[in-house]
This record gives sequence, structure tokens and C-alpha cells, in this order.
Amino acid sequence: MQNLGYLMQLLDPYVLGAIALGTFGGLIIGALPGLTATMGVALLIPLTFSMEPIMGINTLIGIYIGGIYGGCVSSILLRTPGTPASAATVLDGYPMAQRGEAGRALGMATVASTIGGLFAAVVLATLAPQLASIALEFGAAEYFALALFGLTIIASLSGDLLKGAISGLLGILIACVGADPITGVLRYTFGVSGFASGFAFTPALIGLFALSEVFTQMERAAKGDIVPLRVAGRWPTRNDMRESRGAFVRGSLIGTLIGIIPGTGSGTASWIAYNEVRRASPTPEKFGTGYAPGIAATESSNNAVCAAALIPLLALGIPGDVVTAVLMGGLLIQGLAPGPMLFQSNPEIIMGIFGGTFFATLCMFVFGMALIPLFSRILLIPRHVLAVSIVIFCFIGSFAINLNPVDLYTMVGFGVLGWGMQKFGFSQAALCIALILGPMMEANLRRGLLQTHDNLLEFASGPITQLFLALTVLSLAWPAIANRRARRRLAGAPLTDPEKKNQSK
Amino acid sequence: MSKHAIIAAAAMAAVVAGPAAADFPERPISIIVPYSAGGSTDLSMRLLADSWERNADDTTIVIRNQPGGGGAIGTSAAVLARPDGYTLGAAAQGPLALLPHQGGTDYQLEDVAYVGVMGRSLQLLVACADAPFTDYQSFVDYAATTPVQVGNSGAGGANHISAEAFAAAADIQIESIPYPGSADARTACVGGHIDAMVASPAEALDQAEAGNMTPLFVMEDERIDLFPDTPTAVEMGTDFTWSSWKAIVAPAGTPDDVLDTLRAQFQAAVADPQFVEEMTALGEFVVYEDAETFEARAVRDSDVARSVLEQLGMLGMNN
Repeated sequence: MQNLGYLMQLLDPYVLGAIALGTFGGLIIGALPGLTATMGVALLIPLTFSMEPIMGINTLIGIYIGGIYGGCVSSILLRTPGTPASAATVLDGYPMAQRGEAGRALGMATVASTIGGLFAAVVLATLAPQLASIALEFGAAEYFALALFGLTIIASLSGDLLKGAISGLLGILIACVGADPITGVLRYTFGVSGFASGFAFTPALIGLFALSEVFTQMERAAKGDIVPLRVAGRWPTRNDMRESRGAFVRGSLIGTLIGIIPGTGSGTASWIAYNEVRRASPTPEKFGTGYAPGIAATESSNNAVCAAALIPLLALGIPGDVVTAVLMGGLLIQGLAPGPMLFQSNPEIIMGIFGGTFFATLCMFVFGMALIPLFSRILLIPRHVLAVSIVIFCFIGSFAINLNPVDLYTMVGFGVLGWGMQKFGFSQAALCIALILGPMMEANLRRGLLQTHDNLLEFASGPITQLFLALTVLSLAWPAIANRRARRRLAGAPLTDPEKKNQSK
Repeated sequence: MSKHAIIAAAAMAAVVAGPAAADFPERPISIIVPYSAGGSTDLSMRLLADSWERNADDTTIVIRNQPGGGGAIGTSAAVLARPDGYTLGAAAQGPLALLPHQGGTDYQLEDVAYVGVMGRSLQLLVACADAPFTDYQSFVDYAATTPVQVGNSGAGGANHISAEAFAAAADIQIESIPYPGSADARTACVGGHIDAMVASPAEALDQAEAGNMTPLFVMEDERIDLFPDTPTAVEMGTDFTWSSWKAIVAPAGTPDDVLDTLRAQFQAAVADPQFVEEMTALGEFVVYEDAETFEARAVRDSDVARSVLEQLGMLGMNN
């Protein structure tokens, strides 16, 4: 009953208004390439200094939730990941929009984000203290095994295994540029001090996906191979929703789990969710061609991360990802130290945050749906005008992140690289996954070996480590297993009777 | 050089410096923060900017984040900027006093003009969950024979140097385990994946209450208010103190009268009660130190860091 009373404090129209405004602002920030949810929250923290704690912190959560969702808009429409969280949405969202079904893609993304967000918010409100301890189980070896498992996505995402492996390894090599995570020695910077922390991630993504696409489009336009879009509307069909049911569930679960694990985030979650949904699908070949469950998987998982990342923050005082680390600063300025004590000392804040998370997710749904017709029309802009605008956005977005001119070279370099890869059938997605997970894998492998004095057996002794290592092996063997099962099914042979199979030979 | 040329140069210098000094500042002053928006340095600087604008009429402060390279990229941009007082740097111990010894930076400590210190970041050594020691004495006894794994927030950073410097002073064995940032080290500490770490009082307070961390000693001369029961290393017989700091620097060569204006305005901003209150809530320890004291502190830290880095074999490793 008392908890209900705490929730009533949210009914203040100013508080609700601030959350709605924050969510809307976050949506726009997320949709603009180069402005990430992290930046949005960080830059607006000073505005919340003078607000009441419940209003201030929920405004920031609104920006966070809106920002992670907003990233899908530019991913789908322009192949420009607005935030790293939405890079995987490019795979199915962009082809669907290019068929003239931008509204359908954006609608799927909005519904999926809402489902993922609400699911994780329920988990946050009901199981936060119980689940938070998962966050503490992850040491160096566990992170390494998780990253290694994530990297196996490359094998299943690339049609051509050799080219996929080359793309992935290239990504890991590129990720080596910058300060060594263990010794601090600068690697492959060639004396350029701007590369001291490696290639900046967002400019690299913008170049890899967006600028490269502009090059490809220009090439096709030169050949007269471009059909202008006449329609951009159309909503998700009932069939889309039915086909995506499994994707919603898997995406939400994976996003929630990854969100709880600190040091990972929506970027990691969306790729893993995409891959798992594809693996479980009866029609995996449809993924990558503009298939609704592909969008459902990535968008439900990245918004589930938002609320889930609050779990370790509120229950343990440990931020679950980069944005929640920034949010922690906002809480501290309000005089609230997140952690186990906060549940006892300020239950009204905890309840307020639970309620605010729900409300912000609902705001996101309403704004998202209302804006779809407007966003979709962007694609009706003549191609040559749109292409030039995208290039301008690529440059502004890449510079805005760190105000570092070197990032512009990074963006252009990755643009050329991405165009070349697209032309010769190398997977840009594989490179992107390696850029996200490569550094996590390397740093944790070396940190773990440092801690165990290079004892591999001790390194791999934890049950979570072993679980993920086993999943890695299984994941690599899966295509062969699936193939065999399919062949047997076709041959009409029973699944568990080798004798019979031998006879039939 | 002809006499005329010298006169002309002097006249030009007067023209360039003259108006700048009289009406300084005529346009917004930017403070370059060498870390991402939202971190503790960034938030502190935004609070400072607010206070600065409240206390100095007609002065506008703009915060610019230029993260990367452990703070080297933004610090370089500030220190090597045009020395006219319109570009200042948020100075932190790591990029200013520690990184240049490791090489790979295009600036040195000699390249700065000191404005002042606004806060010191006190540090504690804490035992992590499941550590086999619970106070200073048991820690030192244990570490005398068994290497203790101490987490830090980056190789060659402030926590790394202070932990190693303490180990040398107390004659104990430690193995430094680097993490990408203090939040990651804290997570590992609360999870019991390392034995000890260097933490700020704000980081340690809540976790200590929850029983996830045990404070071992404070790296100060005297005990601090937040942890009245935690001893200093000095009182336990090891001559060791260390604190990090947050400060403002300008490029060397900034005209003296401009520096005077900046120093006076900075002092007023730091003395502002609202600023002190907000910083304290953030877990920062507000202390004003003038340019001279700041310089002495930075030079001393730089010297200590140099000898620690030399022992670790990290001196000039990126040159």
C-alpha cells in the first residue's frame, strides 16, 4: 500500500511532463547520427540539478529510453546507426524501408522496443535484488567466454565463412589500435596522438554503414540503376506480429540478461539477440532481406537493456552500462548514492524510478507511433538530395562525439572500407561485431591470465565460463547439426536410429 | 635584427596583448575537459562553470569534452592552445603529471600556466569482498609474503601509481590488475574478483556500509570525516600520502594580467557556498589552492610518478 503511495508522487503533471519531454528529446537525440543516448543524458544532467530528485532522475531515464529507441529511426531509413545499439537493426530494417515499407519497419521497431522495455521494467520492479547478484559473478574469464560466444555470430551471419572470418579478424585487428588495455603501451598509432585510444567507435560505425551506402548508391545511380520510392507508408501486418512472437520473447530475455551484466550493453545485446532469433527461426534465410522478426529481435533486446542496466545500479551501486554510469553521477548530485542502502533509506526514489521507467516506455511508444508517418516521408526526398544530406550528417555526427578531427578521417576511412567490403561480398556486420567484442575478449583474456599467472585450467574453471565455452562450441557446430537434421528429415529417416540409416545405404 | 623590427614587434605585441588585458574576457572562455561528458571530472567542471558565471559578471564559460588517450588528447588541446586565456584545460593528475613520463604525449608539465586547484580527490585502499585481510596490519602482514591483487582504473593512471608507490613504501608485494575505468574495478572488487583496490571515499562509503568493501587506510596525513575509524598509513608507520586533484590550467605564455583575472575569478567561483555544497554531494572534497601551491603539488606528484614508473619499466615506453 505504501508503495502505491510512492507511485502517486509521479502523478504530478510537472513530473509526467518532464518525463514525456525527456523521452521525446531522447528520441530526437537518438535519431540524429552521432548524438548518442549517453551524450544526451550527460549533457542534460546539469539541467536536472535544480529539479526534485524524482523529476530529475526520471527525466534522465526518459532521455535514455527515448535515445536508445530513437537510434532505430536513422538505422532503418538511412542505414546510419543513430546509436551503436541500433547497428544490428540496419540488417533487416534498411532493406525493408528500401522496398517502400519504412512505416512497416519503424512500426515493428516501435512495438518491439516497447515490449522489450516493458518486459525489463517488470523484471526491474519485481526481481531487481535477486537478479543483481548475476552482475557480481562476472570476472575476467566469464567476460572472455561471453565475448568469444558472441563472436561466433560471425560464422552464422556470413554466407561465405572464409570471407566472414576475414572480416571478423580484420575487425579484431583494427580494434587493437590504441593503448594496450593491460600495459598501456600504444599499439599501431604510428605516432598520431589522436589514435591513442584507438578508432572512435561511433564514427567508425557511421562510416562503415552509412557513408559506404552513399558510395554504393552513387555507383548505382551512375549506372541508372535506381528506382525512386513512391510510397514509404504501410504498417506492420498481423502476420508480422505473429511471426515475430518468438523474437519478442527471445530479444527481451537476452536484452534483460545482458543488461544486468556490467560492462556490456545494448550494442552487444542486439547482435546476440539477432543471432539467436535467427538460429531458432524455421526460415533463417529470410533474415537480412527485410524480415520483420529481425527487427523485432534487435529492437526488443536493446530497449530491454535500458531498464535491465538499472538493476545492478540500483541494487548494488554498480552501473550496468555506459549510460547508467552517467546516470549514477546524476543521482549522486541529487544526494542519492545508488546501492543496497537506497532501497532502505529512500524507497520512494526506487518506486519512483520503477514507475518512471514504465511511463517513459509508454511515452516512447506514443511518440514513436505518432512520428512514423513523418519519419517515413524522409525517404520520399529525392535521392540526390538525401545522399548529400546523409554525407553532411556523417561528418557532423562523427565530429560531435569527441570534437576530435581525427574521427573524421576515421569515418571516411571506414566509409571506403565498408564500400569495398560491400562490393566484394565481405560482411560489414562481422566487422562491426568484432569491433564491439574484440576488445572485450582481448582485455579479459589477458586480465584473467594475469590474475591466474597464465594458468589456463584455472582460468577456465568457473561454471559460467564453462557454460559459455560450451555454447561457443555448440554454436560453431550448429550449422553442421542443423544441416544433418534437415537432410535426415528430407530423407524421411528417423532421427535416432543409426542402424537403419546404415542399412538404407 | 634591426632596431625598427624590434620596435615593430614590441608594438605588435602591445597591440595584441593590450585590448585582451583591459577587457578580458570579451568572449566566452572554453574549458576543455579531457574526459567524456558525464564522468566525475566533467560534472565537477560543469558545476564550476555554473558557479564561475554566477560570480563573475559578463563571463561565459563553455565546457568542451575532448576525451581519449587517458586524457592526453584533451589536455594536449588545452595546453597547446593559443595562450590568450580563452582556452583553459580541466587539469587532472593523470594526463598532466603521470602520462608525459610514459611518452607519447606532445606536451610536458612545463607547458602549462597554473590557475588553481578546486578540489582534491582523497583516496583509500579498500579490501574487496572475500579478501583474506580486514585492516591495515593484517593487510601488510599478508602482503609481506603473498602478492595481493590490487585493481586500478588503467595502466599508468593515478590509482596504479599510488598503489605501486605505497607497495614500495611499505615494502609489500602487490600485483596490479588494470581495468578500463574505476566503475569496472569497483564491480570486480564488490564481486570479489580482486583482493583490494584504490577507491574514492564516495565510492567506498556505501559499499563499506553494505559490507562489500572494507577500508584499510586513508592516503592522507590525517583521518578524514567520512571514515573516522580508518587509520592513515602515516599513523601506522608508513610514510605515504597520495591524493589526486582537479584543477584549471592555461597554456604557458598566457599574459600575466589575463592570468591574474582568471585566477581571481576562479578563486571566487570555488569559494561559492552553493558550489561547495553541490561538489560535496558528488563526493568531491573542495579545496582551493593558489597557482603557486598547485605548481608545487603538480611538480612533486610528477617526481614521485617518475620514480615509480621507472621501477615499473614504464618510463618513456611510448616514445
